[in-house]
Amino acid sequence: MRTVERLTRSQLGFLWSIMMPVIALFIIIRVLPVLVVLLMSFTNYNMNRPLVRFLPYQNFTRLFGDPNFVTAFVNSTEFVLVAVPVEIVLGLAFAIYLNRKVRFESLFETLYFLPYIVPMVPAAIIWKWIYAPGTYGLANYLLDLMGLPRVGWMSTPQISLLAVIGIHVWKQLGFFVIIFLVGLKNIPASYREAALVDGATRWQVTRRVEIPLLKPVILFGVVMATIWAWSAFTEVYIMSQGTDISTGAEIQVMVTRIYAEGFLYFNMGYASAISFVLFVVSLLFVGLQFRLFRERSA
Amino acid sequence: MGRKSGRTLPEQVGLYLFLGITSLIMVAPFLWVFLTSFKRSTEIVTETPQLLPLVWTLENYLKLPKVAPFVRFFLNSILVSGVSTLFIAFGSAACGYVFAKYRFRGRNFLFFLVISTILIPLQTYIVPLYLLTWKLGWINTYQGLIFPLIIMSSGIFFLRQNIMSIPDELIDAARVDGASEWRVFHSVILPLSLSPIAAISIVNWVYTWSLFIWPLIVANSTEKFTMELGLMYFQREYAVDYGGIMAACVITLLPVLVVFLMFRTRIIEGVAFTGMKH
Repeated sequence: MRTVERLTRSQLGFLWSIMMPVIALFIIIRVLPVLVVLLMSFTNYNMNRPLVRFLPYQNFTRLFGDPNFVTAFVNSTEFVLVAVPVEIVLGLAFAIYLNRKVRFESLFETLYFLPYIVPMVPAAIIWKWIYAPGTYGLANYLLDLMGLPRVGWMSTPQISLLAVIGIHVWKQLGFFVIIFLVGLKNIPASYREAALVDGATRWQVTRRVEIPLLKPVILFGVVMATIWAWSAFTEVYIMSQGTDISTGAEIQVMVTRIYAEGFLYFNMGYASAISFVLFVVSLLFVGLQFRLFRERSA
Repeated sequence: MGRKSGRTLPEQVGLYLFLGITSLIMVAPFLWVFLTSFKRSTEIVTETPQLLPLVWTLENYLKLPKVAPFVRFFLNSILVSGVSTLFIAFGSAACGYVFAKYRFRGRNFLFFLVISTILIPLQTYIVPLYLLTWKLGWINTYQGLIFPLIIMSSGIFFLRQNIMSIPDELIDAARVDGASEWRVFHSVILPLSLSPIAAISIVNWVYTWSLFIWPLIVANSTEKFTMELGLMYFQREYAVDYGGIMAACVITLLPVLVVFLMFRTRIIEGVAFTGMKH
């Protein structure tokens, strides 16, 4: 790429009038809030209380004795450990099958992708109704039809959390199908054909040729899936609302805790400490994944 | 490619069965809701639900404006998404042009600044963002709803990548003809970047239309509610009115579905690149 050696006055004018506001906005509404949340996590700042004290460690020791936080942390961990592998494995499976020269490929692609594109609020409300108790809910109605016992989707805590994770996976899956499909299409057909000529089965081609070449895309997928699973909010919030749901406290996750502490009780300092933890654990997970993938491919 | 797939018949049947059933599971909730929204309430809350309505009715839709200001919610959502998308379309193109074609000191640092927060979700820094909005006096205002949504790291990144492939000769030719930079941007860069700008705009439209947590904490009176918020409150207040809730869900889904089906390839291209986050 050839670039201009020295900027003319007109170019400088353009540069300043575009970059000044954009960079200022990025600093004010992205970079600073991230830094401020880290600082605030060491204070007892509350919107209703003018006095702010510096707490070097109290917020963080308090977190471990806070049953709500512990529940949320355990639930979020389960959320990540279940959602990420399921999304990646199913996403890969759908993409690999779609890539096998099927008819109506774009129709299937569209159908898989549909849940990802629609807003979470109506999607979660629809699922909440599917999970409804008795036979009003479609899920139990279908179980009845198949002669299976009904399940307390929203009344048994362990099942409720898995039910919410199910919504999350259903919603995000399309994204992974798409990025894996794009990745697969970028693999030259000659690679596959060479392996097939050498007598490899389809499954061997997938395992030995496609998946290794797809590794960078898979890593990208795992990172996105992890971040999204840690920061899940809307589906949990919608699910834990309403009179027929008795499991609101049991299915809370990290972001619903941030919401409750920060915006229901206005404990902004304490809410920031939860954000700090969320920030650190998601970074840790992402770093860990980079390491794992690098070691495997080395 | 014209090459035969080389599958045996059972393989063929198994493959299409797998794709058919899994994709049906993915869209079944939408079909169910769509059909249910046209049923009478006696057909909805029943021990023996039917797939198709016995009597098709619009009553669930017609009563919506009477029980909650859904028209207002809908217009609010259009306003928030529309203003945000205008900013993103223009800002991403202009900023992408500067990063792609200008050489100046600090460019790499500024670019790093722009994409440094790309992986950090809004949820983690929402507390300071809320306090900033509060200090500005923008709680429960349109400015407050919109201002965190007017910049997009991945949009700038995407446009930069695309504008880099525009030949310098085209730009230089315009400059030699005495065009100002605004003119170059307007008559060379914009016309050649319409497709990526469209992709980013559509992705941003869908993202802002769907955003929930920010309106949830910033809008606290119904006249500032977006569609998502209105739907959530309606669902809480009228928990037993399944027909109404389903009709409201369909109305919330519809603008996104229509946009998606119209611009399918652009959206998929944009989402594969940006992950639909800011």
